Amino acid sequence: MRSFWPIYKRELFAFFVTPLAWVLIFVFLVVQGMHFYLLVDHFASQAEVAGDQTPLQSFFGNTVLLYIVLFLLVPPMTMRLFAEERRSGTIEALMTAPVSSAAVVLAKYAAALTTYVAMWAPTLLYLVILKRTGVVDWNAAAASYLGVLLIGAGYLALGLLMSALTSSQFLALVGTALVLLALFILGVGEFVTPTGTTLHAICAHVSVWAQMNDFASGVVDSRRIVYDLSLVALPLYVATRVVDAWRWG
Amino acid sequence: MIRVEHLVKRYGANVAVDDVSFSVAKGDVVGFLGPNGAGKSTTLRILAGFLGMTAGKVTIAGHDVALDSFAARSAVGYMPEAVPLYPEMRVVEYLAFRAELKRVARGERRARVDDAMAKARVDDVATTSIGRLSKGYRQRVGLADALVANPPILILDEPTAGLDPNQIREVRAVLRALGGDHTILLSTHILSEVEATCGRVVVIAKGKLLADGATADLRGMRRTAGLAITVRGDPAQAARVLRAVPGIARVQVAAVAGGAPAKRDEAPAAKGGDGGHAGDLSVATCTWKKKIGDDAIARAAEKAVGSLVLEGLFVREAKAIGGSLEDVFAELTRGAPPDEAGADADEGADDGADRAGAPRGGAEA
Repeated sequence: MRSFWPIYKRELFAFFVTPLAWVLIFVFLVVQGMHFYLLVDHFASQAEVAGDQTPLQSFFGNTVLLYIVLFLLVPPMTMRLFAEERRSGTIEALMTAPVSSAAVVLAKYAAALTTYVAMWAPTLLYLVILKRTGVVDWNAAAASYLGVLLIGAGYLALGLLMSALTSSQFLALVGTALVLLALFILGVGEFVTPTGTTLHAICAHVSVWAQMNDFASGVVDSRRIVYDLSLVALPLYVATRVVDAWRWG
Repeated sequence: MIRVEHLVKRYGANVAVDDVSFSVAKGDVVGFLGPNGAGKSTTLRILAGFLGMTAGKVTIAGHDVALDSFAARSAVGYMPEAVPLYPEMRVVEYLAFRAELKRVARGERRARVDDAMAKARVDDVATTSIGRLSKGYRQRVGLADALVANPPILILDEPTAGLDPNQIREVRAVLRALGGDHTILLSTHILSEVEATCGRVVVIAKGKLLADGATADLRGMRRTAGLAITVRGDPAQAARVLRAVPGIARVQVAAVAGGAPAKRDEAPAAKGGDGGHAGDLSVATCTWKKKIGDDAIARAAEKAVGSLVLEGLFVREAKAIGGSLEDVFAELTRGAPPDEAGADADEGADDGADRAGAPRGGAEA
């Protein structure tokens, strides 16, 4: 695991020295800022119809706004992790150094996750803004950010796996987007399948939509956390095996 | 330090490396020689731990690469053929990253990076982005990367590819200086490179091992085939004089068009030499008789040049034909003697090998 640190540093370097990370963060903040503005404006002008909803709750749950940014940003963040190295051949230099496959996978993943966190960090300012004009439910806010972190972590792990499966960044991008979309649609299945059936139970269990609605209103269910963590662990494990398998291809 | 036993690598039905065994002793500089597509890179990738083998056993510094890959990789500085580098990093950043990755202790890193840059002569581009470097510099950054952890074993896949002649000389000098302290296995399809740097050579073609021996032994496998003499004067007279020299079996005289010095390769093609007059240049290609010894060849060469001069002809140049590693290589890969002319250019050797039918191996039907 000693090779984790240099690879992690290099990945972060690669993210931030190329325009990609900055473009993604810029787009993310513009889109999120717009969402925030629209929500605050909406709640300010229609306070009576909002009921017990808050702008913060809508920012993280009950709307598709969160998923739009996740679908837009996670695939381009993870597409290059392995695909670029395999296409350019640098994977050969990397894997012939004394490194373990697990360290390579974890370091790349950690770098992507760090970038993701860095992306979200400026949105904490929205809380400050909200607090100046009203009341912020800090527990709900903390739960929301936990949810965003957990879901993002799972999405990034899936993206990393897709990047390990192909040497084409474009295919990794499309593959990741499709998998994320499929997961989302499966979650929405909760609302269209009859209550009580197995399919309904599965859909309810994997639903990011339901999860973020819960988390945004401050309800943290440990089953959700276990599911999210398994969505991190399983793709990372498979990715490690995939990296091992290149040797024997 | 490196022991390869019955190594086999298959890609589906395609056999890339077929039962290759050789070993490299500590401090040796060994050339791994073969035409393009012979299985050199595949073998080296297996040695470096990038690819797994289908069958066989590879031991690096006492560690089995399949069972103890980590320890084996720690002992090797590997330079891949394509020299993959991260274009967005500066040279010194890249080497510092590689040093850390290869577990050079924090306190030594700076010194190791500087040392590797000095040895590979990339210190003048230390703060340049790798993406902006020329092919020659990239190649040498790859070499610096292989050296940076000061590993006991260096595995270099075509280390001089893409370099200009001066850089090639420099890299060869670096490699020669590294031999002794380091065990070096370098692949190439350029035979003169092996002659210039390696004490031993392992020849491979179509995945099969063809020869393994000291570079001098391999050269000894083949005597020179003849002598090409550039003569000024009457070509017919030159031919007559040369035919009288004992030891010469055949003489072909070809006029040099425009009086320009001919390339050896072109000499037999421009056959003729009938209409020449004194003052014209021509190339007389003499072939030694079969079954005469090295001493006899030497005497025949002396006599040939001497007789020409005695007869009032002017000798501009006399070159031995064949006898280089290229010819040995061509012979090994083709299973037949090489052409009398040519085959000294690297491309010539490659073509010869590509044309080869079955390599001269034991098990061929």
